[in-house]
Amino acid sequence: MAGTITSAESAKEKYFFLLRRLHSLSGLVPVGVFLLWHLIVNATVLAGGDKFQFMVDQIHQLQKAGLLFVVEMAFIFLPLAFHAVYGVVIALSADMNAREYRYGPNIRYTLQRWTGIIAFAFIMFHVWQMHWLGEPFGGSMFKPHDAPASTAAAIQASWWFITFYIVGVTASVYHLSNGIWTALITWGITIGQRAQRISGYFCTAFGVALLLVGMGALWGFTTYHAPAQPDQETAHTAAFVADPQHDSH
Amino acid sequence: MAQDVIVHIQRKDSPDGATYRQTFHVPYEDGMNITTVLQRISAQPVTDEGEHTAPVAYDACCLEEVCGACTMVINGHVRQACSALVDNLLKEQPEITLEPMTKFPVVRDLLVDRSRLFNALKRSKAWVSVDGYWDRGSGPLMAPRDQEEAYPLSRCMSCGCCLEACPQYNDKEDFIGPHAVSQIVLYNTVPAGQSIAPERLDVLAGPGGIAACGNAQNCVKVCPKEIPLTTSIAKAGRAATGHAIRRWFRR
Ligand code: SF4
Ligand code: SF4
Ligand code: FES
Repeated sequence: MAGTITSAESAKEKYFFLLRRLHSLSGLVPVGVFLLWHLIVNATVLAGGDKFQFMVDQIHQLQKAGLLFVVEMAFIFLPLAFHAVYGVVIALSADMNAREYRYGPNIRYTLQRWTGIIAFAFIMFHVWQMHWLGEPFGGSMFKPHDAPASTAAAIQASWWFITFYIVGVTASVYHLSNGIWTALITWGITIGQRAQRISGYFCTAFGVALLLVGMGALWGFTTYHAPAQPDQETAHTAAFVADPQHDSH
Repeated sequence: MAQDVIVHIQRKDSPDGATYRQTFHVPYEDGMNITTVLQRISAQPVTDEGEHTAPVAYDACCLEEVCGACTMVINGHVRQACSALVDNLLKEQPEITLEPMTKFPVVRDLLVDRSRLFNALKRSKAWVSVDGYWDRGSGPLMAPRDQEEAYPLSRCMSCGCCLEACPQYNDKEDFIGPHAVSQIVLYNTVPAGQSIAPERLDVLAGPGGIAACGNAQNCVKVCPKEIPLTTSIAKAGRAATGHAIRRWFRR
């Protein structure tokens, strides 16, 4: 495979195997690990806003060390962007045929591509909303020092947001669980049909459990009410949440 | 059952001609298969509208599902014409449809050019290389365990069913296909084939190699020879990764 790269096409050829393997790997580590951890941290809101705030404070210790941005970039944003963009390239290379060949694995293969696209759209929206959207658009923005209330306000801002979060989290969880199943084949760990069937059970159980965690987190934030606090900014957000128009009950 | 069998056939007069459909009524015979149906149509190529037309072009050779030549899409499902029994097809739907495979260029009617399939086998060096004509004696012995794993792979008849059903086998990607992946695994398992194993692994770890597979697993479902293609794919995935890493460290 040696030789000089003369065009983008031959670069694509030369690095084909490497790119596909990196795509598989990046989906597991760090992106998959991040999703798992992110949903678990978010679900701590079910144990109360203080618990979630504590988790956020722990993470934002990194900020004090000036590392948060670097960690976010190197371990979350860049791998995720690569996985998403190259994933679209892979999805476009398929001639999906689940209509003609309605086999379980083929349907899962097709879903893997669609959920990838949905998760990509959802995550872009999610990052934009939590970082930049802010109040002007009727949403809210994540505030690390006021984590539970600001997250709850962002999610409760519209009925559509809650729906989109349910769809987006479900798609992401499916994509990860099924991705683990295919990665085990891709990396030659589950070789025989029996091994692949059994790993399928484990991946399904993992997916169902993670979906419960994710839905738990969403439930926690849609039903969250900030306790009244003297702090200026918290009071503002809490008032916003308590506004009957935005109240989900 | 003296009724006629109604067969809808997708036709094309030349490689760049227009695609059209014709319907034929063929007298039912006991135990008839699709190759018989096509033979009857050739003997009397008259459509259901009474139009005298050219006989339908098709390929066939062994007539016992070992050569792969007669592969086509029957009732929307890829398989061999010679082993597709009309009785079973009529249980699927009341009228039979015949179409050429979609992943290969049509030469005429149901006849396709499977060159890409054979070129992938050439690219993969799916053979035992010999550089002379002298008697080499019997080949190296194989452990029964390896033999049991290798034998099923040797049943591949290069029919193309697995490629027709594979969503990753198309014009957008230069994928060698599950049949070639499996043949690489076979020839890298057989002791006589192992001398050029690294060259085959280069193909697996190269463009259009094993990484083009998306694990849809249609191939293993449609393979008429029941070859454990997904097992070969997983083995190939592991071998290719190891090979790529070793290759990189050897630079
Ligand atoms: S498992 Fe791979 S080779 Fe087989 S049909 Fe799916 S994508 Fe194609
Ligand atoms: S692997 Fe099976 S389906 Fe594919 S070409 Fe060989 S015999 Fe046909
Ligand atoms: S004619 Fe050989 S497989 Fe059908």
